[in-house]
Amino acid sequence: MLPVVQLGPLSIQAYLLVLLLSAWAGLAIGAWAAQRLGLDGNHIYNAGLYGLLAGLVAGRAGHVIAFWSAYRAQPVEIIGLNTRAFLLWPGIVVGLMVAGWYVRRHKLPWGPVLDAAAPGALVGIAIADLGALLAGRALGAPTTAPWAVTVWGVARHPSQVYETLAALTVLAVTLRMLGTRGRPGSVAWVGLLGYGLSRWLLEPFRAESTSILGGLRVPQLLGLAAALIALWALRGNVLADD
Amino acid sequence: MTRTRWNALTAIMLLVGIAWIWINRLPADSAASANGLPPAPAVGHPAPDFTLTTLTGEAFTLSTLRGTPVVLNFWATWCPPCRAELPELEAAGRQYAGQIAIIGVNQAEARADVQAFAGEMGLTFPMPLDEQTQVSRLYGVRSLPTTFFIDRGGVIRQIQVGPVTEATLAQLLRTIR
Repeated sequence: MLPVVQLGPLSIQAYLLVLLLSAWAGLAIGAWAAQRLGLDGNHIYNAGLYGLLAGLVAGRAGHVIAFWSAYRAQPVEIIGLNTRAFLLWPGIVVGLMVAGWYVRRHKLPWGPVLDAAAPGALVGIAIADLGALLAGRALGAPTTAPWAVTVWGVARHPSQVYETLAALTVLAVTLRMLGTRGRPGSVAWVGLLGYGLSRWLLEPFRAESTSILGGLRVPQLLGLAAALIALWALRGNVLADD
Repeated sequence: MTRTRWNALTAIMLLVGIAWIWINRLPADSAASANGLPPAPAVGHPAPDFTLTTLTGEAFTLSTLRGTPVVLNFWATWCPPCRAELPELEAAGRQYAGQIAIIGVNQAEARADVQAFAGEMGLTFPMPLDEQTQVSRLYGVRSLPTTFFIDRGGVIRQIQVGPVTEATLAQLLRTIR
């Protein structure tokens, strides 16, 4: 289990540091991939950093709106350091929109930018999954498999390890594709296809998931939808190359 | 690859995809997921039971609150972030009186000191005194404050390390109400 890191009066959960590391590593790999595709790597760094910052602001703004009655009494908490006071989806949507705005503003080609972003995102995901294992987050479902890990007296699937390995496998495929001159955008679509399929396949090995409609696991539904969209987008590539 | 094969591949992916999602749907009753798990200070596990004497001298046993969502807070008077969040817990206790139980386990302090502090802050929720820190150890509490959010079935749903604010407390309470 990852401990809590004590920095003077600040106690920081080490998992947050892992998330920072995953963001940094993802940007670095994305920038490197951009160079290989003939883009300026700094653009990837900038788009990513603007996106991250905008995502943090929007995540907090969403929290303030959702819990306005609480903030009205303590407006100083709107800029408070509480790491839980963020909503995930507003942050992700606005972060992606701002990164997209950066790409448009600098008239960067969408295909190569997304092709460079895909391996970066996969590296970030792999690191975050390992962090979840060390922090005891996103626990696996109970199992009798011989490779089970025992957490709090229960033998569980090391589902975070499965997810890390899946992300690394998809990463390897995207990195191989970077070297071959395929259609712009196809690396990104293959990355989305692989990641979507991995979430769809591996989510059942987690003990708990967000669920809708009488227990259907939301990440599985989103993963399958993403994979089908990616398959549709890749259709042109494969059929044309015939 | 021909167009027909590609369409077939897409259709197979859709059908197999939906089947795998349907097979792996979660049981409707979320408390059922904790069945058979040993009590442990971890999300998804039944909360470990304990009995301590409260500030007012009564015996407090966690399991007697089964059926009511519980906010189990570990604190001490010397801890500044605890002092910051205790009024929020008091306010939530008043707002949800009878619906949610707020319990503040004091870690290893003299009864008289806790009494004076609670009086000064106007805190009225039950305060079991963990004089030997055995309950803190049972719950693996490594820094104060730490708060466990326990649902009606006695299952831990969230663990908050560090203080809550009014807003994050409202958010966390949604997971057990």
